[in-house]
Amino acid sequence: MATIEQAPPPQVPAGPSHGPGPDHPPTSTGTTNVKLAIWLFLASDCLFFGAFISAYLLYRGRAQTGPTPAKVYSIPFTSVSSFVLLMSSLTMVLALAAIQRGDLRRLRIWLLSTALLGSVFVGGQIFEFTEFSRKGLGLSTNLFSSTFFVLTGFHGAHVTIGIIWLLSLWALATQGRLTQKDAEKVEIAALYWHFVDVVWIVIFTLVYLIPTK
Amino acid sequence: MSDITLRDDSGATEVAGQTATALEPSAGLLPGELRPHPSPLRYVLIAVVLCVITAAEVSLYYLEGSLADAVIIPLLLVFAALKFGIVASWYMHLRTDKPIFARFFVLGIAGAILLFGIVLSSLQIFS
Repeated sequence: MATIEQAPPPQVPAGPSHGPGPDHPPTSTGTTNVKLAIWLFLASDCLFFGAFISAYLLYRGRAQTGPTPAKVYSIPFTSVSSFVLLMSSLTMVLALAAIQRGDLRRLRIWLLSTALLGSVFVGGQIFEFTEFSRKGLGLSTNLFSSTFFVLTGFHGAHVTIGIIWLLSLWALATQGRLTQKDAEKVEIAALYWHFVDVVWIVIFTLVYLIPTK
Repeated sequence: MSDITLRDDSGATEVAGQTATALEPSAGLLPGELRPHPSPLRYVLIAVVLCVITAAEVSLYYLEGSLADAVIIPLLLVFAALKFGIVASWYMHLRTDKPIFARFFVLGIAGAILLFGIVLSSLQIFS
């Protein structure tokens, strides 16, 4: 039978389990708030990108007044960019594995590799945008170009934020301020990075590979 | 100031109808993890699989004209879904983490597909 009383400070029972850890207040989910928050953010970001992908699909075959997608896309170039982003997901999980093992040297290497691969991807996107502009396809040329630039531009912005995040972690690791007990910080950044990768998987297929009439 | 809480005979603390836990993760596991993450070798093998699927996708693109769009488009969508699933389950660790994370993520994806599917259908984009 339940009775009402003043709550004492949180107790940390002994024994193995899978809760948020000793440095975190008790939670009803048994996990840390920050990890729950990043998953909620990623879920909401699905709707964010869903809106832009839908707008692109809605307008991609309509009211063409400038170059068509088939005339401006370079599939070999974009395929290499996609490969680079996929490989950055690999280096990211290797960074997480390294910090979980306490291998801080490899952590720094893989974090920097991921940031560099991300930079190559963003550089490729800037090159692609420049090429499109040279071929006469600007942001306001037609409905296709507007939706294309907004969708891929926002994705590129996400990648850029990820690069800044990774470089910040790398700087902390270099100064010795990121240790094995901070593995969750790397995991949160990794979740964001992989999400950016899965969004690109969808964009690459829907925007670039599916034939346009 | 401490909160008013309900405490039953077993000693478990109840806040707003939920049982709160403050338990330590098992050794080597991150918060929210149920099983250990895959080994680095497995991560590399997964990357190889992802590269092979990407190569198959790009090859399909170049088969446009030889194969009907009705074949190419569903295959491309299946490959994309496969890659999405592999990255989410292995690299984002939804296979080994608490199911609550997968539920949140699936909720977001399903919500986006449902919402924008309805919008695009109402605008007759699929007809």
